[in-house]
Amino acid sequence: MKRTVQAALLLLTGAGVLRVSLFSDICLRYVKEGLQPFLIVSGVALVGLGLIGAVRDGLPCAERRRSGDAHRSEAAYAHEGHEGHGHDHSHGPRIAWLLLLPTLALLFFAPPALGSYTAARDNAKVVEDYSRFEPLPSRGPAPLSLTEFIARAQQDDRQSLMGRSVLLAGFVTPGKGGAWDLTRLLVACCAADSQSLTVTMHGVKAPPADTWVKVTGTWHPEGTLGTASAAIALDVTSLQRIPPPPSPYLDRVPVSNSVSPEAG
Amino acid sequence: MHNTEELTDRPQSEQVVAPVHHAHHRLGRSAVVVGALSLLLLVALGRLFDADQWLTHPGFRAWQTICVAIAVQALPFLLLGTVISGAVNAFVPAHAFSRILPRNPALAVPVASAAGVVLPGCECASVPVAGSLIRRGVTPAAAFAFLLSAPAVNPIVLASTAVAFPGSPEMVAARLTASLATSAAMGWMWLKLGRSDWLRMPPRHTGHKDGHSRWEEFRLGFQHDFLHAGGFLVLGAMAAATFNVTVPRSVLETFSGSAWLSVLFLAGLAVVLAVCSEADAFVAASLTGFSPTARLAFMVVGPMVDLKLIALQAGTFGRAFAVRFSTATAVTAVVCSALTGWWLL
Repeated sequence: MKRTVQAALLLLTGAGVLRVSLFSDICLRYVKEGLQPFLIVSGVALVGLGLIGAVRDGLPCAERRRSGDAHRSEAAYAHEGHEGHGHDHSHGPRIAWLLLLPTLALLFFAPPALGSYTAARDNAKVVEDYSRFEPLPSRGPAPLSLTEFIARAQQDDRQSLMGRSVLLAGFVTPGKGGAWDLTRLLVACCAADSQSLTVTMHGVKAPPADTWVKVTGTWHPEGTLGTASAAIALDVTSLQRIPPPPSPYLDRVPVSNSVSPEAG
Repeated sequence: MHNTEELTDRPQSEQVVAPVHHAHHRLGRSAVVVGALSLLLLVALGRLFDADQWLTHPGFRAWQTICVAIAVQALPFLLLGTVISGAVNAFVPAHAFSRILPRNPALAVPVASAAGVVLPGCECASVPVAGSLIRRGVTPAAAFAFLLSAPAVNPIVLASTAVAFPGSPEMVAARLTASLATSAAMGWMWLKLGRSDWLRMPPRHTGHKDGHSRWEEFRLGFQHDFLHAGGFLVLGAMAAATFNVTVPRSVLETFSGSAWLSVLFLAGLAVVLAVCSEADAFVAASLTGFSPTARLAFMVVGPMVDLKLIALQAGTFGRAFAVRFSTATAVTAVVCSALTGWWLL
């Protein structure tokens, strides 16, 4: 790999990283939010170093010939192996071509966030023990994150979910025989370590896989509410499609839309 | 053949440079050939089956996402590592480290293990840094101890372990103990059994030379290191993503019953999943069916041996080294985790 190509590759990689971190939030499909500033810094550094390289060595179709100064031309550098420097940077590592694959993917066809295919195969996330539960709002369907719904179903001995209408959001993972789950994937660092949260849906036909939906409904009575035997399931009363959230791997509480007439 | 002294002190000499360069090029060429062949295979398969269906198959999409995710996630750390290594090469005087470290290599090893605390980040940063330490005259045994301990015992990783296992500080203590023990044991083992001709380090930037600009040396060294390690990182990410997508999680349950098998199984899982050391505690915490010792093995092996790390080591130190070293490290790490788990957990 020529040095001019190396500079171009640094520039491209930096541009790809900046495209998904600075100019959009696409990187949130791959890594946790906390990493975004570091990605921006990395992108800027790569573009900067690529630019310095381009100024000093030129780019693939516009090589610079240096003369007169202490540096020698590309060819002289390559023949220098046995004296002085001991190695040549002009023939960079060929394996570096592999960097083009993720770089081009980031620039032109960024892969989508993980969805139902992964959720159906992942291991379920362990929901932490809640020490206490806040009282649910007195009116309307209570918006809950999937984590809190699961925790209330299996841990709350005051059975706050009994007879309550709740609002949940997530994407659709089809199950066996027409059954389906409302799911979310959570990551601790990057998409390779995703874990799933799953609530089984009853009472409506499954929307297409991977659609993001908002559902209202009540706890599906099976097992004893507030114990580990309680089903993590919902009897759905209404369902609404929503756009995928920008941070797909955070278990956010859904925003309840305008209070519907029957809610009061 | 030649020992490391020659590699670091007389890199100019032709007979040192030549074989290394050959190995280097052969590696590069085989990677290109493999890449071209797999591309051809992909196209052929695409023709054979319905290409559209195949390319948009959710499994293949998930593979792409995970592959890109591992590469993107590791990039800032790799950059940090190569910047440090480039700076060490260009700005640190040749024998600065040998003056700080104890003269006796057997003592330098545990000191280097403990020094791993200072490099915050995941394992991708530590490989280029260890490479530059060796070029600056640090005894390889100490550099390897640092390489193994740095990603496992730094404060960020220990803190995330404490968060992932709330109410069990003994897990943090066990991880620290087992990781330090493994890295020191590997350092000493290298002193006893290691052979420097396994090390085939591309004899790049050998420190500052008179008449060259230090900044220019830094830039070229960094550029070369980053692109080189980046290529191997992508290779490792592709391998790890393949396992990540194809290994069904249901096989997990079949192994959780037996105490010994579960330790070995989770150690193997750590190798193929290649989860970053800052996140592996959360994955370990979710493997509820397994004994604490097995989960400890997952967290001790993961930052020291995994597919992307093996690829990075092969690029930095040569294939002959990476295969032997990773195998020995995996065995040592399992033994150390088993002993520590039996003692602390």
